[in-house]
Amino acid sequence: MLNICKIILHIAFLYGIYLFGNWIQHVLGLVVPGSVIGMIILFIMLSTKILNVAWVEKGAKFMVNNLVLFFIPATVGIMNYFDLFAGKGFLLVVIVLFSTLLVMVSSGKMSQWVMRRREREHG
Amino acid sequence: MANLLTALIAVLATYCIYLFANKIHSKVGYTFTAPVITSAIVIIAVLLIFHIPYETYMIGGKWINELLGPAVVALAYPLYMQRSVLKKFITPILTGTIVGAIIGISSGILLAKLAGFEEVIIYSLTPKSVTTPVAMAIAEMLGGVTTLAAVFVMIAGIGGVLFSSIVNKVFKINHYTGKSVGIGSASHAIGTSKALESSQLEGSISTIAMVISATVVSIITPGLVALLV
Repeated sequence: MLNICKIILHIAFLYGIYLFGNWIQHVLGLVVPGSVIGMIILFIMLSTKILNVAWVEKGAKFMVNNLVLFFIPATVGIMNYFDLFAGKGFLLVVIVLFSTLLVMVSSGKMSQWVMRRREREHG
Repeated sequence: MANLLTALIAVLATYCIYLFANKIHSKVGYTFTAPVITSAIVIIAVLLIFHIPYETYMIGGKWINELLGPAVVALAYPLYMQRSVLKKFITPILTGTIVGAIIGISSGILLAKLAGFEEVIIYSLTPKSVTTPVAMAIAEMLGGVTTLAAVFVMIAGIGGVLFSSIVNKVFKINHYTGKSVGIGSASHAIGTSKALESSQLEGSISTIAMVISATVVSIITPGLVALLV
């Protein structure tokens, strides 16, 4: 029971950081989502030890481990778009797949090249 | 009152179906049994059978949606926990994800434009390589449809995992860094669970690549969209 209370409290805290991220986005007129700004803020706070990881740990763990749960309702919305994927819409699947493979090859090749170079330099 | 009851039922049912889907997936472990797919199929089937419109389900669904924001914030936690790996591999991960992000966003926009799709579809497709909650936030910001963004992310995740072995073989990506950064940047969490099968370290690098890539894509997408759409 105490555990559940902690999870809820930690999620409430994460929600607070999210709102703060939204506020910063709004005030500075940024085009980066407030949630991502919140994530960067939390990472900086944890790394600089301004915030003890114990303050968010239980809630963050729960959310990351169950990340899928939070976007199931949005995914179900596909039921209103079934006709989009009929006919020409099928091309979208091909485009997404092709572009995904390009990402995999380019990022994989790039990081491998950097890594191999570093390994050679340091023997 | 009726609305509150509907909402409660929708939330509880979604949670139970998700738990069940999770259990099945941990038993069989196929890419196609990813909990998001099986849960969505079951919920859609129930809604269609009982003629319940999506909008009614979302009376409760939007409560769960509301937690997407803090869920993204929570991604800082795995990044922080992996900070020693992050420090050691920062250069290969950063260069890899940035190159991947630029190529992924531009190719998505250009191909969809070439095929003649309208802007709202292009905006929904642009953030497909990043983890779903971030992709939905980016799509929303651009003026796309969050549901479509979620579906495109799913396709990128599953497709990437299915083709990763052959892609790595053809393009001679055989260093563990290349393999894990590639799959983390292209196929987010679904790719990361595949990387974890190889080793703990590859899983860690892939997790970091996924979170960094989500950050990089959120930052550079608006500029690339302004340039290319």
